[in-house]
Amino acid sequence: MQALTSLFPPNDVTLLAFIVLLPLVGAFINGVFGKRLGREAVTLMGLSVIGVAFLMSLGCFLMLHEQQTGEQAARLVWKGWDWFTLDTGFSRVVLTVGFSLDALNGTMALVVTGVGFLIHLYSWKYMEEDPGYYRFFAYLNLFIFSMLVLIFGDSLPVLFVGWEGVGLCSYLLIGFWFDGEQNASAGMKAFITNRIGDFGLLVAMGLLLLSTGSLDWSGIEANRQHLLDGMQIFPNLGWLGLPNGIMVSRATLVGLALFLGCAGKSAQLPLYVWLPDAMAGPTPVSALIHAATMVTAGVYLVCRLSFVFVMSPFVMFVVAVIGAATALFAATIAFAQTDIKKVLAYSTVSQLGYMFLGVGVGAFTAGFFHVITHAFFKACLFLGAGSVIHAMHARIHDNDQSQDMRNMGGLRRYLPYTFVTFLAAWAAIVGFPLTSGFFSKDAILLEAFSSHIATEGRVITGGETLWEWPQATGTVLYAIGLLTAVMTAFYMTRLLIGIFYGDFRGWKIVQKWKEPKHEHGDHHHEHEEPGPSMKGPEPHESPWQMWVPLAILAALSLVAGFLNAHLLQIHWFDEWLEPVFKTARTAVEHKEVAEAPFLVFAVTAFAVGVGVAYWVYQVKKGEPARAFAEGSPGFYKLVRDKWRVDEFYEETFIGGVDLLAVMAVWVDKWIVDGIVARLTAFFTSLAGTVLRYTQTGRVQAYAFTMVLGMGGVGWFFFLPHAAYRRTRDDLGGKYTLTAMPGASYQYRWDENADGKWDGGFGNKTQVAFNLDPDQTKKVRLQVRNAFGLTATRDIVVHRPKPDLSGADPEALKLLEPTGAKGAPRNGQAPNAPKGAAPAPARGGQP
Amino acid sequence: MTLVGNIFFVLMAAVSLLGAIGTVASRNPIRSAVGLLVTIIGIAGLFLELKAEFMAAIQLIVYAGAVVVLFVFVVMLLGPDASKVPEGPPKGWAARALGGAAMAVFAGIASYLVLDSRPAPVPFPVVHADHGSVELVGRELFTKQLVPFELTTALLIVAVIGAIAVARAHVEKKTKARDERPAPQRFFVGPLHPRDAGHPLPKEHA
Amino acid sequence: MFQSLGTVVEHYVLIAGVIFTLGAIGFLVRRNVLVQLMSIELMLNAVNLALVAFNRAYPGNMTGQIFAFFIIAVAAAEAAVGLAIVLAFYRLKGTVMSDEGDQLKL
Repeated sequence: MQALTSLFPPNDVTLLAFIVLLPLVGAFINGVFGKRLGREAVTLMGLSVIGVAFLMSLGCFLMLHEQQTGEQAARLVWKGWDWFTLDTGFSRVVLTVGFSLDALNGTMALVVTGVGFLIHLYSWKYMEEDPGYYRFFAYLNLFIFSMLVLIFGDSLPVLFVGWEGVGLCSYLLIGFWFDGEQNASAGMKAFITNRIGDFGLLVAMGLLLLSTGSLDWSGIEANRQHLLDGMQIFPNLGWLGLPNGIMVSRATLVGLALFLGCAGKSAQLPLYVWLPDAMAGPTPVSALIHAATMVTAGVYLVCRLSFVFVMSPFVMFVVAVIGAATALFAATIAFAQTDIKKVLAYSTVSQLGYMFLGVGVGAFTAGFFHVITHAFFKACLFLGAGSVIHAMHARIHDNDQSQDMRNMGGLRRYLPYTFVTFLAAWAAIVGFPLTSGFFSKDAILLEAFSSHIATEGRVITGGETLWEWPQATGTVLYAIGLLTAVMTAFYMTRLLIGIFYGDFRGWKIVQKWKEPKHEHGDHHHEHEEPGPSMKGPEPHESPWQMWVPLAILAALSLVAGFLNAHLLQIHWFDEWLEPVFKTARTAVEHKEVAEAPFLVFAVTAFAVGVGVAYWVYQVKKGEPARAFAEGSPGFYKLVRDKWRVDEFYEETFIGGVDLLAVMAVWVDKWIVDGIVARLTAFFTSLAGTVLRYTQTGRVQAYAFTMVLGMGGVGWFFFLPHAAYRRTRDDLGGKYTLTAMPGASYQYRWDENADGKWDGGFGNKTQVAFNLDPDQTKKVRLQVRNAFGLTATRDIVVHRPKPDLSGADPEALKLLEPTGAKGAPRNGQAPNAPKGAAPAPARGGQP
Repeated sequence: MTLVGNIFFVLMAAVSLLGAIGTVASRNPIRSAVGLLVTIIGIAGLFLELKAEFMAAIQLIVYAGAVVVLFVFVVMLLGPDASKVPEGPPKGWAARALGGAAMAVFAGIASYLVLDSRPAPVPFPVVHADHGSVELVGRELFTKQLVPFELTTALLIVAVIGAIAVARAHVEKKTKARDERPAPQRFFVGPLHPRDAGHPLPKEHA
Repeated sequence: MFQSLGTVVEHYVLIAGVIFTLGAIGFLVRRNVLVQLMSIELMLNAVNLALVAFNRAYPGNMTGQIFAFFIIAVAAAEAAVGLAIVLAFYRLKGTVMSDEGDQLKL
């Protein structure tokens, strides 16, 4: 550790760059050479870079842990290079590509690389048969790289690079089996939905740049008091009763824009719709990206910029309410899903809502702690589901049916390791006492009830009252959270029983099974109609590469809670993260409450949920659920169809865009093609119709016109032309007249225009003279050409009075001594514009 | 100028003018060609009078030797068709008549003006003995005018190739009937754009 | 006057002008393409004559003769291509009358 610290001083930790770079190297080698390297080399490359990155992250984490003493936050910083310079008009902002590590992202890095490594290990066997094996590992490594850039980034733009990178990898991996149209469109859906969030992030960046003049964390924190300035977001409309428009603080705008980005990436209402569809990707991808790491990036960002978020109580209220609503909403959908990955997906959305509920009420540590524990148990659940699917593939070679709960049951006999690990992760997510989920959920719920953001912005504003949270917020949020906990326990138990208990239903394949959306009638009836019995191999346990990660994750799901077990007076995680959230926590107000009742409620919630599910699905074999579905088929169908949110979006937003496209087509067809193109074409053809009468096709006719033209040119040369060129210098008063040349031209001048020529015809082509201001002179010029013809021209030259109206009085004073005549004769006035220099002016021709 | 020189000048001028008239006025193209030959010889003689021996030689070699022979060759190739007048009234006679008349009038005016403007003609100055000799012209041609000279060779090659390409007979390449041609390849299937949906491709393209 | 025949540039320019005018009128009036091409040759020859005559009158350099030389080269090329076109035209139309080549008209 000493050696590490001396090798990498805290202000220049090149190790961070290495951690980030390693997965990129792996992605490059696997992606470019993977096809030739073969599976073994790809596996070695993919696993080793992540493993080494994990070890290096561990080293950094230990360094950090050693340096962080008490209240003082430790930071490891690596400054790369200056990326670009922004000139905002007020200041020049140099954007540096740099990484920094503190307690928050140090912990996150451990999770990303650690869970990432386990999932890489798992993918070794899970993806073994896939022809795109090398591609998969390249994408996975690239994802780890992007995720590390995201969490290590020392400023918003660097974070944004990683943010977009993980979005890209998510897209690539959701559509990994791109030959299926459903997979490809799921990837596009994820990508496009995330664009909406990215828009918010970009807006937030602009606003932060405008307000704080900085985009890196420390700069934003140092200048954050400017975020309290008001900003008008609605015009002054007196007749609407808004004489001053609507003013909000910049912090509110920034917070809302940031949260839009977080909601997109972390699948919160109303942008959650992409995450369930993202399950079209391979199961390790669902575990790594869409459960453990990427989708928690939004929570990470809220934690990272917690000091900005707490400046607007309204934004925090929005975060908490959206989180709670998402948690409840997604949990209801999970009730009626039969695809095990879909159940887990909605569970993920629900748990992410939990995290936002936590950070929204100011419980950043609790929310982030849930990120960590969720990463363990949800990854374990997904990988367990993958193991189940892997086993089911032995019987059913169909992606949809092998994931359907109704074809499973009793698998604990065939998949003992998977069952045990799944059971552990289940215990964690339903909140079985003393598991990790129990502690993290409990902490969130307790804080949801007792904490809120200070109503008087006494921290920063100096007494000015900001927007105030409604009185009952804490109670309502707590109630929703508790209800969600009951529901989570219920549907997870349903999932567990559906997969592992009872008899194996996969012997008979369910007939006429289709996507529930398109189904008419109640599928539970069809459930009972046995299809033809399928003989075949039995489901089997997965190889060690798959169950070892499961075991590790299961163990972590069980014990990780003891990092922050308030019940047992363990506050290690709180203390570890305390310096990071020190600024933000000052804005959070706590009510002192007794913890015991909440503990009772939490255990009760777990017991009720699990108990009811056990009674319904194990004791009564699902009869009550069937009865309920038959009792209110419309409601059941609505829930099973995910409240038809996708259809609603299809009709409104996508329909609106389609309408716009149709209108654009109309404009293109009738306005652009109709008027612009056809009108032009009409005039062109009209001109052509007229002009083609001159095109007789006979050479002599053309030659005749040529002769006429020749005659015209000859006539021009036959006549003399008394053209001239004048150079003028209005300030200096010098003028010259130059007669234009011609074939054997001779000239004579009459400079004073008295009617007498100054001389005979000669070769004098130029006259020069000086004029006083406002003086006019007439000159005559006569030209004679070779044929003896002459042409005469009278030339009038006038020198204007100098225009001194806009001149500097001081400069005019300087002009005075040169005499009453005005501007100096030779040379330019001090204030003379540049354009007054001698410039040629072309004389006319007859 | 000696009497012989004067007689030579008058002779050559008359020869070239008569040849020119013959060229323009003959009904038979072969007589026109002969008239052109006579003109060329006359002008070559005038070149000699102007002490341009090299140009005179070139004139005879290129014009009389190549161009006129080419004309005669083509006239012979066409045979009686070379002067065959198609049935029906000649087209565009008004333009021809007007063009000829206008040209004559303009030329008359121009000649009058040119001759009238210089009442005292200036005689030719005495020149060096090798004025217009092969040596002098050749030196000029291969030093100062080398680039245009080389470009002229390129022009001649292009002209030869172009003449071959234009005059070559295309007997075997008869265009096929429209129906025998294969349908053009259709690159896209289905309506590409909503506004194309109402306008399907023609049947033979589908 | 008689003594000075052929010793002033005007005589040559006059002859060149007459030949040029004859060529131009021939080109404008005749409809036989062969004769038209020959008329063009007449015009080019007239110009050559004028150029050489002026070179004799201003003998400082050989530019006039060199110019005439290039005109001869270009005229040779022009004759070759023109006659090739005449042959192609004859194959197409069966005649060499230029007023038959009016398919571009209305």
